[in-house]
Amino acid sequence: MGAKLITVSTDTEFTHLAWKRDEKELADVKYLMGADPNGKVSRLFGVWDEASGLALRGAFIIDPEGVLFNSEVNYFNMGRNIDELMRKFKANLYLKKKADEGCPSKWKEEGDRTLRPGPDMVGKVHEALND
Amino acid sequence: MSDTLQEVKIGHPVPDFAFNCYDPVAHDFPRISLEQIKQEGKWTILFFYPADFTFV
Repeated sequence: MGAKLITVSTDTEFTHLAWKRDEKELADVKYLMGADPNGKVSRLFGVWDEASGLALRGAFIIDPEGVLFNSEVNYFNMGRNIDELMRKFKANLYLKKKADEGCPSKWKEEGDRTLRPGPDMVGKVHEALND
Repeated sequence: MSDTLQEVKIGHPVPDFAFNCYDPVAHDFPRISLEQIKQEGKWTILFFYPADFTFV
């Protein structure tokens, strides 16, 4: 889909290899596994936990020009919803082409209803979403 | 890179960064930078997690 997915932890690339090799759940993994043992990238994105030296569960979407479009950070014991991450990524792709539109919270894929903010929509979002 | 990194902000450019990776397809350890992915015209999705060998 024109995106590079990289998972990142403070493990080394060698540990990544060993984990991928040993854990059968990861048998189908094709994405790059980034190594951030000194926490530099984790700090840059604000997910570095000083006390443990580990990265919190953060997800970030950056466009091809290098601009950050989404961020989501959960504590260690809260999983992320991959479907929601992909929904946001697809919405970003769409909005890149249609910058004057807005993707509402229930937007799932191209073809779903979008909003076009303007004078006519003020106070009429319900109608715009449902009529 | 300095030790006092400015954290990233939504709607703003992310400073370049790079790290070593494990590439399971090529079975290799490439060094990947944001600049490199930008030059390929691709989006970047970063997915941080605490540690290997734990329950993701």
